[in-house]
Amino acid sequence: MNEPVIAVSELTRRFGATTALASVTLDVPRGGVYGLVGANGAGKTTLIKHILGLLCAESGSVRVFGRDPVADPVGVLSRIGYLSEENDLPGWMRVDELVRYSRAFYPAWDDAYAEELRRTFALDPAAKIKTLSKGQKARAGLLIALAYRPELLVLDEPSSGLDPIVRRDILGAILRTIADEGRTVLFSSHLLDEVEQVADHVTMIVRGTIALSAPLNELKETHRRGDAVPSLDEIFVAHVGTG
Amino acid sequence: MRSPAAAIAWEFHRRHRWGMLALLAYLAVLAAIKVVVGHPVDFESEQTFALVVVVPMTATFLYFLGVFSFGLSGDLAARQSMYPARMFTLPVTTAALAGWPMLFGAAAMAVLWFATRFLAIWPSDKVVPMFWPALLAASLLAWTQALTWMPYPLPGLRVAVTMLWLGTFDAIVLIALEKKTPEPVMLAFLAPHVPIAYVAARWAVVRARRGETGTQGHRAARWRRGTLAYPTPARAQAWLEWRQHGRSLPLMVAILLPLELLLLFAFSEAPSIIFEILTVALLTPPAMAAFVAATVSGRVTPFLATRPMTSASLIGAKLKVAMWSTVIAWILVLAAIPIALRLSGTMPVVAGWAHDAVRILGLPRAVTLALLALALLVASTWKQLVQSLYIGMSGREWLVKASVFATLAILSVVLPVAHWLVQNRKAMAMLWNLFPWIAAVFIGVKLAVAVWIAGKLYDRGLVRRRTLIGAALGWDALVLALYALLAWSVPTLLFRAYFLVLVAMLAVPLVRLAAAPLALDWNRHR
Repeated sequence: MNEPVIAVSELTRRFGATTALASVTLDVPRGGVYGLVGANGAGKTTLIKHILGLLCAESGSVRVFGRDPVADPVGVLSRIGYLSEENDLPGWMRVDELVRYSRAFYPAWDDAYAEELRRTFALDPAAKIKTLSKGQKARAGLLIALAYRPELLVLDEPSSGLDPIVRRDILGAILRTIADEGRTVLFSSHLLDEVEQVADHVTMIVRGTIALSAPLNELKETHRRGDAVPSLDEIFVAHVGTG
Repeated sequence: MRSPAAAIAWEFHRRHRWGMLALLAYLAVLAAIKVVVGHPVDFESEQTFALVVVVPMTATFLYFLGVFSFGLSGDLAARQSMYPARMFTLPVTTAALAGWPMLFGAAAMAVLWFATRFLAIWPSDKVVPMFWPALLAASLLAWTQALTWMPYPLPGLRVAVTMLWLGTFDAIVLIALEKKTPEPVMLAFLAPHVPIAYVAARWAVVRARRGETGTQGHRAARWRRGTLAYPTPARAQAWLEWRQHGRSLPLMVAILLPLELLLLFAFSEAPSIIFEILTVALLTPPAMAAFVAATVSGRVTPFLATRPMTSASLIGAKLKVAMWSTVIAWILVLAAIPIALRLSGTMPVVAGWAHDAVRILGLPRAVTLALLALALLVASTWKQLVQSLYIGMSGREWLVKASVFATLAILSVVLPVAHWLVQNRKAMAMLWNLFPWIAAVFIGVKLAVAVWIAGKLYDRGLVRRRTLIGAALGWDALVLALYALLAWSVPTLLFRAYFLVLVAMLAVPLVRLAAAPLALDWNRHR
């Protein structure tokens, strides 16, 4: 069981002349919250798309639960809960139809938990997805990402552009997921204060390369100046600069 | 860019510059030919003229319809307006949103006509009108824009309404042409259409901008399904496909069919027209399927791409739902036609034809041929729905556009050549003798590509060996069954046995269907 949940090795990806990822190596062990931080366009989403198998590795390798997500999408995706900033849920579906559709794919779907989440998030089962606000859509996406208690929860900028209450729900969901023993969260965001609230481990990605990857406490210790414990924001600026 | 008009024009130019360049190149060639020839000529046949001028220009006209109505990137069968929603948030009046694309489109149509009018070499016996075809093209585009930008209460209604309205409009123009209506009268008839269509288009964009989908009056029709679980992911996916695309074809057929069959009441005394009406009714499902096909092979969103299903299973759901759509559409046709024949009093005419067929062919052969024709129509409807999946599922816009261009280019050559062949007995006889060799080459290519695709499907783990073997055996069985039917029903004097085997092997689809999961996999894991 010591095998990492995510093992990325020497991953490189180019889009035309742009190098989105350059020899990225990253191991995410089981359990805990991994914060993936970086500026917009740094390569966070590209890395996450490789983890989900939506992009093929040009060179290097990606393994999730020891499997290649491109060669075995069913084996990998059935164990991952995923919520992205895009959140492209089908607008024509009602909330109850979305739940009914999604549960078919996951044998571990927990009806009681799904209903609990629906009530917590105040989602009307008869409401069409396209009529929901952006925050409500994010909640609906979170519901179907959590209701089968995935082994790995991948959140790609989930709270971007959302109000503080929805962001609180998302952070709550992360904490709830890790409360289930052995589960892992990969949380990408450029909102560093959010990552700082929940992450155990932070990986900083800058222009397609891993600039820094360490447990949050260790990062704070190494960047400490006297008695002043730096925030993640300050550590980020120290490494990347303000530009 | 300093104005909304310039920005909208730039977008059309940027997205379609290659098509426009191809058109300019073609017009330059036409102009060069005219300069070299220098005078009106007598074409050998109308088909030669069609090959050089009519087919490419008609293709360009249709292309312009798609471009300026934003129809190339929208869902024709959807209820929502096809006007791009991203443009609704621009700080621009609705009048400008509707007006500029209409004005640019009308200008493009006018340029297309005048370029054809002045650059092409026309047959010397034709009187070529000056202005009204430009106005006709602009009017047809304006109405297409108004009708495609309008939100509708039902999926598929857009296609039916647009086809009916444009069909009626075309019919009026054809009647006017038949009666040799002078140009001023044609201009007077056509002149009000662009302004009226503009008012309709503006209203359509107002409604679309307000977020209306035309469904407000239909809430009562919705029915709740409770929380019953789908037993398998495949069933859930099939449900999604059905809700997204499955209902469009039966709905379109249900809307068009009664209107077509109503004509039986008007022409109950004219057997030839009854035959034409029934032919049109029987061709409605495959024809409508061609329209629906674009939506079936629509965009693969990240939501769909991250479903824990294999690409083959995702395609399987599409194929299955296409089959249900086909079956339901044909049930409607087969139920509606006898009812319409009986109510319109035209049943005896059709029964007379059936008796004649039985007398000439014998009962078993007549029934078999009728069933075979029906099976071919049903299969062709399903094939229309799914045969372009391998292009759409690739998710590459360049491939979609290239395939449209390639199809138009091939059609613009094949149709006139086929017409010439039909009229040239010597060439026809030679082609007939060569057919087995040509067919053998096509079958060789088909099987070679199929084997390559099967290898790729297996290598990528998309299908298991057992599935591949099963599919190959299934294809063999279908070919054999079709051959057996053909051999039994077609007189052997007309065709040799190997000829029928070749036809059966060419007719049963293989490559394009097998390529669909591969294309989706290519799209899903870029």
